[in-house]
Amino acid sequence: MTTLALRPVATGRRTRRRPVGVLLATAALVLVVLAAALAPLLAPYAPDAIDLSASLAGTSGDHLLGTDSSGQDLLSRVLFGARTSLIAPLLLLTVAALLGVTLGVLSAWRGGWVDTLVSRLTDVMYAFPGLLFTVLIIAVFGTGTTTSVLALGLAFTPTVARYTRSLALSEVRKPYVDAYRVQGMGGTRICALHLVPNLGRAVLGYLVVLFGEALMSLATLSYLGFGAQPPSSDWGLMVQEGQSAVVQGALLPALVPGTAIALVVVSVNVAGVWAADRLGSQD
Amino acid sequence: MTSTLLQVESLAKTYPLPGGGRHTAAEDINFTLQPGGALGIVGESGSGKTTVARMLVGLTTPDTGLITVDGRAREPRTPRRRPARLTRAREIQMVFQDPYVSLDPRLTADQCLRSALRLHGRAESLAATLLDQVGLGEREAGARPRHLSGGQRQRLAIARALAVDPRILVLDEAVAALDVSIQAQILRLLDDIRRDTGVALVFVSHDLAVVQHVTDEVLVMRRGRTVEQGPTRRVLTEPSDPYTRLLLASVPGEGWDPADAVAARAALSV
Repeated sequence: MTTLALRPVATGRRTRRRPVGVLLATAALVLVVLAAALAPLLAPYAPDAIDLSASLAGTSGDHLLGTDSSGQDLLSRVLFGARTSLIAPLLLLTVAALLGVTLGVLSAWRGGWVDTLVSRLTDVMYAFPGLLFTVLIIAVFGTGTTTSVLALGLAFTPTVARYTRSLALSEVRKPYVDAYRVQGMGGTRICALHLVPNLGRAVLGYLVVLFGEALMSLATLSYLGFGAQPPSSDWGLMVQEGQSAVVQGALLPALVPGTAIALVVVSVNVAGVWAADRLGSQD
Repeated sequence: MTSTLLQVESLAKTYPLPGGGRHTAAEDINFTLQPGGALGIVGESGSGKTTVARMLVGLTTPDTGLITVDGRAREPRTPRRRPARLTRAREIQMVFQDPYVSLDPRLTADQCLRSALRLHGRAESLAATLLDQVGLGEREAGARPRHLSGGQRQRLAIARALAVDPRILVLDEAVAALDVSIQAQILRLLDDIRRDTGVALVFVSHDLAVVQHVTDEVLVMRRGRTVEQGPTRRVLTEPSDPYTRLLLASVPGEGWDPADAVAARAALSV
């Protein structure tokens, strides 16, 4: 007699249980977002309150995470800094998504010389190191958070455009697009109302994965002095301000914002890749 | 006297081959269709029948030839201006082969129809009527294509084409992806729709049995050329061309032997 070992058969849908890492990362992100939103309530001091008498104080009851060389409370600064550090990458990705998706879809839809032009243009932008390109724009338009968001938005555009183009190329060949054409619908309307929404999930997943990189790039610019300017409590800027204190034996001013950046980037990547997989896999 | 609804004259299309030279997908195709008529275009894979269907609706631009609907020549390319595009769309609509990919995955059946109705400035409330006409109920109305069966999807695709209120409906292998019992339902539905709305059908298929049921006239294509055309009944009962005879011999039936069909095919290819 034959015995059949019955094992649970894998169903089409993957299990909904999140791995521990993803849970931790999600929790960390929720905390950071809450911290950013509630910064004025949570922060014990104003982020730009200077107290030279408490310069480079270590952790104490007054200053839980210590102070920097100007005596500014690091906890307060890092809490307020969470706001720019979360919103700026979002704006950056919005710029990159608007331009990149438009170019990518246009390229795939029109084909021919339009496609060639867009592809060569993205090739040229790829040829420059991203940072060099960004610094070039900042050199022309001046430093600041807005300029660096726009400059990095442009720098991220080719990546998004290329990804969107590759998705759109296979999407425009699907017969449902032909069906819209036969209905007499115009190209712009098909693209904007039907093609882009159908690519939406996959592009969104990709943008989530890019978030960490966007945050890092912005922090790098601030660190180099091209982005946010003092007295902003941008994390990248705080690391730069804190590095002279390292020489004086105070690690916290650089370590606190540095850890915050690392925490958010790692969490976004862990939770983001997990979410992007699911966004992309559902049809 | 009935006026001709659709007239196709010396339609031709060639595609460049990778190694140079050109592949003739369709050559010197001529036919006419009366209002409310039904024409079958049959042939095996690669005979050019889909190319003809795509040229009819304007998805493929013919190299030469003229397609006239109601005495007005259709522009070979999609017009840029919206009114011209919509008028052109109301002449000929198409139902695609594979209902699993020819419907927008994001839209529910109801939204799909409303989108088409809105585009053509028709009342969106007609969506319910159309769904009813193709035999889809309330549950299907709110469902996205992935929650519909193959037959239901093809019914929706037919309703979407009808939403434009076309004079002619081109069906490109519209039942080939469905199983036999569903095929029969869809064919019956098409027959009903033709009777009720007076829409003319161009039925592209490799399946002679299917064509026999729905069409009055038939055109047999082989390697891009017409080998025989005439009333369906005559062509299918007394075929004059050896290729048509071969196609008929290839239809599985009583006492049918695949070996005979393969042998006949080999003899003809020489």
